Amino acid sequence: MEHMGIEKDRLHFSWISSAEATKFIDVVTQVTESVKALGPAKKFVKAG
Amino acid sequence: MLTYAEKIRELSAQLLREDKVDMVIGFRKGSLPMSNEPCMVKNPGDADKLVWDSNCGVNLASYLTDRKERIGIIAKGCDSRNINTHIIENKIKREQLTIIGVPCTGMIDKRKVSNSVDFDIIEVIEEADKVIVKGAGSEQTFDKKEVLRKNCEVCIHPNPVVYDEMVAEKVDINQDVDRYADVREVEEMDSDDRWQYFEDLLSNCIRCYACRNACPLCYCPTCFVDESQPQWLGKSTNATDTRGFHFLRAYHCAGRCTDCGSCETVCPMGINMRAFTKKLEKDCLENFEWQAGLNTEQRPPLDSFNPSDPDAFVK
Amino acid sequence: MKGQTEMKIIKIKKEAWGQGLEKLQSEFRLFGPVADKDGFEFKELAQGQLPVMDLGNTRLSAKSTVYPQTQVMFNYTLDESKEDHHIMKEVDLNGQPQAVIGLRPCDAASFQLVKRNFDNPEYPDPFWVRPYEQSTFVGLACDNPSPTCFCTSVGGGPYSENGLDVLLSREGEVILAKVITEKGEALAKAAGWDTDADENVFDERRDAAEKKITAKINSDQLKGKNANDLFSAPIWEDIAFACLNCGTCTYSCPTCWCFDIQDEVKGTEGKRMRNWDSCMYPLFTLEGSGHNPRPVKEMRVRQRFMHKLKYYPDKYDSDVQCVGCGRCIDLCPVNIDIRDVCETMNNYKPLKSES
Repeated sequence: MEHMGIEKDRLHFSWISSAEATKFIDVVTQVTESVKALGPAKKFVKAG
Repeated sequence: MLTYAEKIRELSAQLLREDKVDMVIGFRKGSLPMSNEPCMVKNPGDADKLVWDSNCGVNLASYLTDRKERIGIIAKGCDSRNINTHIIENKIKREQLTIIGVPCTGMIDKRKVSNSVDFDIIEVIEEADKVIVKGAGSEQTFDKKEVLRKNCEVCIHPNPVVYDEMVAEKVDINQDVDRYADVREVEEMDSDDRWQYFEDLLSNCIRCYACRNACPLCYCPTCFVDESQPQWLGKSTNATDTRGFHFLRAYHCAGRCTDCGSCETVCPMGINMRAFTKKLEKDCLENFEWQAGLNTEQRPPLDSFNPSDPDAFVK
Repeated sequence: MKGQTEMKIIKIKKEAWGQGLEKLQSEFRLFGPVADKDGFEFKELAQGQLPVMDLGNTRLSAKSTVYPQTQVMFNYTLDESKEDHHIMKEVDLNGQPQAVIGLRPCDAASFQLVKRNFDNPEYPDPFWVRPYEQSTFVGLACDNPSPTCFCTSVGGGPYSENGLDVLLSREGEVILAKVITEKGEALAKAAGWDTDADENVFDERRDAAEKKITAKINSDQLKGKNANDLFSAPIWEDIAFACLNCGTCTYSCPTCWCFDIQDEVKGTEGKRMRNWDSCMYPLFTLEGSGHNPRPVKEMRVRQRFMHKLKYYPDKYDSDVQCVGCGRCIDLCPVNIDIRDVCETMNNYKPLKSES
């Protein structure tokens, strides 16, 4: 996805166990922040 | 080259005569310069039709899918790797096949030749390492290496990796070639430039699916792009749908693609189709030391798990 | 045709050509061949853009100028607060008149063949007929036909006027225009092209160009053959073996007209469109029940050739559904050659007639 030009910070992979609540919060916070910083996606959005 | 053809005919006729195979899949002479037509030969007497020259670029493994007969097949390096892939994926059985291996000296890029001359081509003759292109009253000679298909220029497996017969001694392999210069060029771009690069690449795609249909890996009974329940992709010439098709198709070829160049050769619009699959091929090599179709023993990276598989992308 | 052509011939100098086209753009949408990567295709000309007139034929045919690959037919809304929700509204087809500049006589003739299908008296198809009626076709004669051109054996020719409103012939920088129809006359007038040429060189050039065509097909025996005999002839396995069912032949063919209707909805707004389809694809004939009457490629290849060379001529009592542009021959990745297939069909003799 990155290779075709989707911004790097829009894609995240993480492995979180059901026991890792803190990690889950951290990752989700980080994902939201980085995606918010990028703003709305313009690529791969089908026009009308 | 001529001796290749003679040997192919001789071996094919023998296989048919001795009833070791029901048919031989090879090439017959085409009606246009730089074109040969894949064909099957069922009678020993017809083996004379078989030819071999630098216009046998179509990957013959595509013609094996789900066949039940005993088949003799002419295979250059990439064809043989796709035959292995077909065997791994249960699309043909090794026992059905008698593989006539052809050490490959590279295939000619028809489009490159046509674009390099300013006349209508009437005849193309190969002599040793030269390609002589003739038109009405015009003639131009190229070194064969100038007019090779791009995948042949960087090929490191010209010799068949699996065969029962060989038509000649194996050819020397150029291991020094830089296989991924074009991929690195894209990797070095920022995300907007990459996006634009693929946007330009696909600007004239007509969604005919020639790339998919020529690909020896694309044998799904129903391709995802043809599904209607659910419909994964729109079917118009919309740029987003077109891009979706090309990237999803490429992912489906990850760890399976042998860079045989069929997709690129058949594209009626001349799109550099390998730009999609080569990145994945490079990643497979770098991350899993994997090159598709070299043998039938090793499982492909995408259907096996190894604790040492790289996982730096998982945070 | 010789002798009876009292048609008007106009001489257009280089400057007048560009100026004339620019003038036309206030009235017409202009389409013409323009460079596209390593080939060139028919596209709408931008203001002041000149069509490429000095190279061979376009890679794809001119059919897209009347029949685009993707064509919206209806719009609708699913928003129930709107009065006209769930009602299909036809797109406005009364657009600006258009002119297709520089199409070859083969492509011009193709519209006449396709017309029988789309403009039949019973069910005229407005989505094809209206753009067609709004089009003026300004053809460019072929002085250098390619080695795979065989228009002369399917009723056409490099100077054929069939389906054209104006026929152009280049002479260095100067263009000679033969005005064929009233539509053509109106276009020439709108462009301000009015200098009469001193001589008629069209017949002479036509003869010279026709002599350059070397490729041909023979379809003379096809009419007399029984369609069922040909259908069940043991020739198709060999013909179809190499075929990848890639559809390149049908997409590049000026006379292939099949399409597939699709709906696309985004939010509450929907559109119904048609996209080119191809008899080469298994999906083309797949029925809702799951049954597919043409499940294997042999049947699909047979359908393409039988339709072009047998069913069409039989149905319309005409020549074959092919204009001899040679595109399918040039572009086929596995070298399936309609000339050879036609020859095989033409020469086929059933061992015992089933009829």
